[in-house]
Amino acid sequence: MTLLGADRLLAPLRQALRDVPADEADIHVHRRRAAITRYSHSSIHQNALSDETHATVRAIVGRAVGIVTTNSLEASDLRRALGDAASLANASRPDDEWPGVADPEPIPAFSAYHEETAATTAEAQAKWIGAVCAAVPMGMRAAGTAQVEVTEDAVATTRGVSAYAPTTMAYLRALVLSETYVGSGYAEDLSMRVDGLHPDAIAARAAEKCALDRDRVQLAPGDYEAVFEELAVAEVLRILSLTGLGGQAVREGRSFMTGRIGERVTGESFTLLDHAMDARTIAVPFDVEGTPKQKVTLVERGVARGPVYDRTSAKAMGTRSTGHAADPSRYAAGGHAGHLAMAGGPATREQLIASVQRGVLITRFHYTNTPDPRAATMTGTTRDGTFLIEDGKITRALANVRYTMSALDLFAGIDLLGPQRLARDWWSSNGMGSILCLVPPIKVRRATITGSSPL
Amino acid sequence: MRAVTITPSALTHLVEVASSRGATYADARTVEREHEAVSVKDGAVESVTRTADRGLGFRVIHKGAWGFAATDRADDAALRGLVDEAFRRAEASASVQRRTVTLAPIDPQRGEYRTQFARDPFAVPLAERIDHLRAVDAASVGPNIKTRRSSIAAYRTRKHLVTSEGTDVSQEIVEAGAGLSVLAVKAGRKPAPRYDSRLVRQAGWEYVEHLDLVARARRYRDDAEATLDAPLATEKPTTLVFAPEFLALLVHESCGHPTEADRLLEHEVAFAGTTFMWPEDRGKLRYGSPHVSMTADATVPGGMGTFGWDDDGVPAMRTKLIDKGTFVGYLTSRETAGALGVPVAIGSARAEGWQHFPIVRMVNVSLDPGTTPYADLLRGVDSGLLMEAPASYSLDDKRQNFHFSTQSARVIRDGQLDGYLRGVAFQSLTPDFWGRCDLVADDWELHGFLSCAKGEPLQLMRVGHGAAHARFRDVPIEVRE
Repeated sequence: MTLLGADRLLAPLRQALRDVPADEADIHVHRRRAAITRYSHSSIHQNALSDETHATVRAIVGRAVGIVTTNSLEASDLRRALGDAASLANASRPDDEWPGVADPEPIPAFSAYHEETAATTAEAQAKWIGAVCAAVPMGMRAAGTAQVEVTEDAVATTRGVSAYAPTTMAYLRALVLSETYVGSGYAEDLSMRVDGLHPDAIAARAAEKCALDRDRVQLAPGDYEAVFEELAVAEVLRILSLTGLGGQAVREGRSFMTGRIGERVTGESFTLLDHAMDARTIAVPFDVEGTPKQKVTLVERGVARGPVYDRTSAKAMGTRSTGHAADPSRYAAGGHAGHLAMAGGPATREQLIASVQRGVLITRFHYTNTPDPRAATMTGTTRDGTFLIEDGKITRALANVRYTMSALDLFAGIDLLGPQRLARDWWSSNGMGSILCLVPPIKVRRATITGSSPL
Repeated sequence: MRAVTITPSALTHLVEVASSRGATYADARTVEREHEAVSVKDGAVESVTRTADRGLGFRVIHKGAWGFAATDRADDAALRGLVDEAFRRAEASASVQRRTVTLAPIDPQRGEYRTQFARDPFAVPLAERIDHLRAVDAASVGPNIKTRRSSIAAYRTRKHLVTSEGTDVSQEIVEAGAGLSVLAVKAGRKPAPRYDSRLVRQAGWEYVEHLDLVARARRYRDDAEATLDAPLATEKPTTLVFAPEFLALLVHESCGHPTEADRLLEHEVAFAGTTFMWPEDRGKLRYGSPHVSMTADATVPGGMGTFGWDDDGVPAMRTKLIDKGTFVGYLTSRETAGALGVPVAIGSARAEGWQHFPIVRMVNVSLDPGTTPYADLLRGVDSGLLMEAPASYSLDDKRQNFHFSTQSARVIRDGQLDGYLRGVAFQSLTPDFWGRCDLVADDWELHGFLSCAKGEPLQLMRVGHGAAHARFRDVPIEVRE
């Protein structure tokens, strides 16, 4: 995708917003070039590139809101879309909670765009995969994904907001499976830059886990000490975010924070921010309403400090938007905490494992969900590297286990924290309600295992 | 930067260009999607939305490998770039490939498919839709109901597929549906939600009327209010009767997904996972009791997985997946059938939109009905629970180990419904669970899902599932406060 840049992308938006047939209006444009190469059995089986543009226009007439989307960036088409949105608003009813479109505010200087990454070719992606496959030892095979995304986002409002930002994202994952026994290992790199991907190292980490993952035994249900690696912690944070960190969830009584802001909700070792402007993550510095993204302390040393807000939930709760409105076609309204940063610590992986008397090591989860949203309870099965730790050492490979527990109870038992790295949970890695996390591995005193998959 | 409508002749030209450049197969597919939705929250209009999305996807097989490119631009430069990119991607694929792509053969297809409906859901005046929802909202009001939401949606998809093998088919699919949710909240009690977002059908406005949303809203309100104050269940093996709405999801997760043939080839191993139902198990694996038969059918009238042709151009078919408890069949694409060396038993290659590569998806996958009236099935339960609708659900990467909780569990005592319990969930292994089925009723009904998630990039697919009430003996349940 050739970048249009701020001037070319914003010009038709500003033009369309002149003489708009409504009391106020805003336009959000998202352009995206996604190149995804998938491989299995050490062979590429899917290689796709899509190049798409989506403009979402909102027209407000007497506090009634109409929303229309189009693929076009022509000013005349955007004006037509605004007219259609105004017609919808005219036929609708006033929304007493409508907060008005955003006023201009200074957008933080922040770039998550890397020129060389944007220029990545299909050949380069295939070479990463070739390098992974070549590095996998005999008797193992590899599967996974190489992905490069380039985006441009822009927002303009009738009150004068004019915001623009590009991003890049590079991602490589490898699942290594044994040819001779039931066992697998997994590793990935995620970065704003292609030079943050290390195919050989990914292959080595995944293969090392696969080599350990043989002769599995089943673990009896019960409470165990545990080491959660980064991807496993990211999965727990996802549940916390989707169930409890948005202003609307707090307002409606669905969040663990409802009625508990300022109270201790989990252990002192747990601090969580939403921090889109951390240089290590990938973010647009404003939300889809054009509000700059704020750094928000969600939980501080175990005490609930408050959720993130979009303009509507902020108005309803008597506060200001924190810049966390998200695309309504993909996220629930009311504020989306999508750039989490969980405080880490100095512990190495070896120290985390060495601190466990008898417990489990969890690499990642598969298809998690929440049977009790108010308690931020997560259930899910582990995959691609679940091990028994005894006397500070990994001693056995385990069949995948089902884990079911409140995130708050899990984090109440943190003993040790490792350093943060950028990671996504299983769902987000595929674009489902995307949440990026700066997340540490942790050792906890108690993780509840409720079942085991067959060997 | 204008999106331009792509003409049929442009599609033919693209596949001809691909053939002239050496592609052994090519297809070009335009997709135009429209969607209108109105939602009401707590009596006020929450949003009125009209979305449109159109573009072109182009696939080639070159040097034995796939390349795919998609764009929402249609100027000459964009189309030339599209062809070049698809070939570049195929060349790149071929550089890391151990097995060439082979498509199972089909005859060239020509024709049109259109959804039959009585009233175009897009033509219903907005004011009528809003009035309808406000009546639904009023019916949801209850002493402890804190949040009420309802919505009505209409969808239209126009597709045109041209392939280098002579297939040229066009389709117009219209869908209508509704969403409904209430949340009961009371101090000192766990919040009780009741919702359904799977009320959607390939049909017109008449389906929205058929749903009788006002009566449904009252029922959901009553379920949530009653669950809020219900006693906690007791953990023990219990007879569970599942409503069709609940079973639709169980069929989806524990039969639909593990019979997707691309899982055998490990195309989804790093994300969606694989299966426990392997080719050597066909005709042997005991999946469930003899009461359990399941069918994939892309021809079911009104089904969300119904079409004229899939995105490989394979005409709609039906095939058995589970026959009297035994695993017998898979959902296939031309590529997966070719790799397995079997004919296409059912065309299941589907793409969410123009920007997506078609992959194996469910069509309408259903539990076959029995012959017993529901009342008779219920009479056979001395003590048990009626599981009305799913809440949370989680499956392992082989679709074998699963966990479901429910929004509404009603007590069955001596064959009669008698109050509610809360906190009910269960985890099981797929063959063990379906092996406990001892009766399927005759009250089969169809449900529609809008967002089955699979693939990279993620594709949210429309699928249909039919089921009747069914009874399962001695299912261990777990209870959470």
